[in-house]
Amino acid sequence: MLQDIITPQGKYFASGVQSVLRGHENRSRRVVLLKGSLVQNVRAESRGISARVTKRGRYGFSSVASYSEKDAERVLRAATENALFLDERGAFPRERYPALPSAQVPVNRPILDTAQKKIIDFCREVDSYIEKTYPQLLSRTVVYTEDSQDKIILTSDAASGHVTYPRCYVYVVLSAMGKNGAPVELFKAFGGAGGFDSHFSDASQLNPGIEELYRHLMNKTEGVYAEAGNKTVILGGMMGGMLAHEAVGHTVEADLVLGGSVAGPNLHKQVASPMVTLVDFAHTAFGEPTPLPVFLDDEGTLAKDAPLIENGMLTGYMNSRESAAHFGVEPCGNARAWDFNDEPLIRMRNTCILPGKNTLEEMIASIDDGYYLIDSSNGQADLTGEFMFGVSLGYEIKNGKLGRALLDTTVSGIAFEMLKTVDMLSDRVTWSSSGFCGKKQPMPVGMGGPDMRCRITIGGR
Amino acid sequence: MFELNEVFEKLQALLEKKGAKLYSFEISESEKRELNTEKTDFNLLRTIYDNNAAVSVILSGKKGTAAGNDLTEEGLEKLVDDAMLSAESSMEDDANAIAERQTPETFRTGPWEADMNRFYQALSILLTQAKKDYPQVNILQLIADHTQTHSLYGNSSGTRFEHFDGVYHVTVEMSASDGEKNTGLNYMGLSTYDLDTPLMEQGSIRSHFEEAQKSLLSAQIDGKFEGTVIFTPDCLGEFLYSLESNYMMGSVIMDGTSQWLSRLNEQVASEKVTLTLASKDLRITEAQPYTSDGFKAENVTLIEKGVLKSFILDLYASRKTGRPVTKNGGLSAVMEPGETPLKDIIAQVDRGLIVGGFSGGEPGANGEFSGVAKNSFYVEKGRIVGAVTETMINGNIESVFKNVLAVSREQVWDGYSALPYLACGGIVISGK
Repeated sequence: MLQDIITPQGKYFASGVQSVLRGHENRSRRVVLLKGSLVQNVRAESRGISARVTKRGRYGFSSVASYSEKDAERVLRAATENALFLDERGAFPRERYPALPSAQVPVNRPILDTAQKKIIDFCREVDSYIEKTYPQLLSRTVVYTEDSQDKIILTSDAASGHVTYPRCYVYVVLSAMGKNGAPVELFKAFGGAGGFDSHFSDASQLNPGIEELYRHLMNKTEGVYAEAGNKTVILGGMMGGMLAHEAVGHTVEADLVLGGSVAGPNLHKQVASPMVTLVDFAHTAFGEPTPLPVFLDDEGTLAKDAPLIENGMLTGYMNSRESAAHFGVEPCGNARAWDFNDEPLIRMRNTCILPGKNTLEEMIASIDDGYYLIDSSNGQADLTGEFMFGVSLGYEIKNGKLGRALLDTTVSGIAFEMLKTVDMLSDRVTWSSSGFCGKKQPMPVGMGGPDMRCRITIGGR
Repeated sequence: MFELNEVFEKLQALLEKKGAKLYSFEISESEKRELNTEKTDFNLLRTIYDNNAAVSVILSGKKGTAAGNDLTEEGLEKLVDDAMLSAESSMEDDANAIAERQTPETFRTGPWEADMNRFYQALSILLTQAKKDYPQVNILQLIADHTQTHSLYGNSSGTRFEHFDGVYHVTVEMSASDGEKNTGLNYMGLSTYDLDTPLMEQGSIRSHFEEAQKSLLSAQIDGKFEGTVIFTPDCLGEFLYSLESNYMMGSVIMDGTSQWLSRLNEQVASEKVTLTLASKDLRITEAQPYTSDGFKAENVTLIEKGVLKSFILDLYASRKTGRPVTKNGGLSAVMEPGETPLKDIIAQVDRGLIVGGFSGGEPGANGEFSGVAKNSFYVEKGRIVGAVTETMINGNIESVFKNVLAVSREQVWDGYSALPYLACGGIVISGK
């Protein structure tokens, strides 16, 4: 982990500006076994120092891929020069954002290293189990991926601290030949925040999940195309999380609100069914740590939950310090940067639709003709709230019972219209945290939700 | 700043001292100056100094790779130790190999030094011109940089490539508004060496502003029909990537899920389709002069008049499958233009869409896709009716390139690729 050479460098902060100095190390490990062949075996690390200096609302940023006291002084000087360059040329004055209370956030968890051999041996054990147990598969891939961020943040007018974000996952990808002669595929991610030993002490612990994945895959080999049109569906918790993140979350990021997103004119208006409450959790949700806890953001804001929709009413946005000042609210710690050479952007943390009171069984039983959409391959959304999710796993619902599996399809809609059709929520929340959100930079995010009954447009032949 | 040639010598000496007989490595040093706007106001200037190093070692057929950005002596020593340890932990595989020796060469591409005053001026002109020509289009953000990169590649076969590259990048995110009516997001990217030609006239910048402006005129599609889709060059690029991933790339050839596995030299697409991977070119600024395996990059024809001529296989996939290696990184696609002007292609459409973007699930191994048509326009009886929302398109990637009706005479070179408009039939289009 990073040695703290950052804290003593406050002496180089210039006067009349707002400064943030960040020491930052990212680490990644990746092992890929494709049908038993090791096709990737990589260890990577990047480390550096960045400075962001703000002069009357215009930002200068600089970074260097080395880590010494001299480097800290160098990037602070360059960032200050950049801020002054823009300040002198700015067409109109911008506002300085308010200072925040100072505090010191301690390291919340360690980043531990795991020997590459241990990782490879684990993946081989998983791969060997799949090969032996499911010989009829067309292909199998086992991927181990680990990334961690280690940041020491020093600010001139807000909180400072040393924060870490380790996470690791094993992805299992299985494919089999479908009944129409074309391959079908499914994947499942195992793991979460923390290091290898937190999740992968015993390879056999993955077996029940792999068995469930295989069972779904076999059903998918007999799968049918969804019927295109506007349908009553149950979005599983993974899909609900995707909805919370893609379809709503992005439109309520304050920079996109200022860019013209649909959330701008809808603040304090009913945008969803009164059953829907949406929160971007910081570090604790439902009395437990969130999938990817955030305690301090990269502008020196102490992280707290950001309420977004309450009982169907749009109540707030996610902010940076600058946008919070613009909207006259307190920032909640959403400004984060991915690598040492990235500037903080407004990002989600753990965005989740709160659960309701129904059981999944009740919800399935309530539908005569519809679909249960369980898992998503990807998702995108627009400023207008028009969204799309790829559906990799789903089933028909006929007369209150699950029917045939679906081949890959897509659902779409307008978030604030679709959310008004939600009329049942399950009493359980499913979280996911293995992916990256893309917005100029990648960023690990958590997302979650209950099963939701709603109307949605589904693509198909 | 490091003297990169000295780092090269140190790294090579370290590898040999530690007993590596088969290895390859690449080191680089870069400086990026990046201007960002919030709307049309420049509000962030970034100066980024970066280094990178990646080392691969093969020990008794076992391969390991380590990457980092610390080019000090201690950093290099750790990098080599990590790569060696990673290789020792790995699995023996005859397919692991180092490419044969290539003639050492130095490549110099693009303007090495940033001319930030001229660039700032060119960007200011672009912003002013956009406001004048497309008053209803709002620029949400412009990100523009000059990046200079000095790279050195070396391997145990004696290959040594050196590359000095300077290039300007521009990305623009925009939408349009008229009173309370707002369009969705439209965005584009340009990579260029050229500050002489106005930025508005390069790549697809002007066509994106036009698309955004025209999106204010909306059209509604009710129900579902099978029609013609004209993919814009930007959208065609997305579909080409899916075509390559699902049918031609190493992973699907190695695991046997490609449906073109046994179709080399057979007709797999329309005769109108000729697709090449470009090497470095004045107009393909993002192509690399050498591959990550250490081959000097060549132009590679993937599909010639619809006939599959090559897969996209790196050295490992090549040895694993017993097929020829592809001496191209596979990122820069050039599709041969046709002879029909775009306006004539549109005039021939009875009912269909011009699709500027696709927001859809990644096609599965069977090539089936479905998703939302973004930045798209409804065409009826040869006339553009208006922009559509909440409209989905469904089809099969392979069929898109089989059922080609026309390829446009126009071809957009945006530094990443050179692609025409492509019209194809048989796509299911469904409205609300």
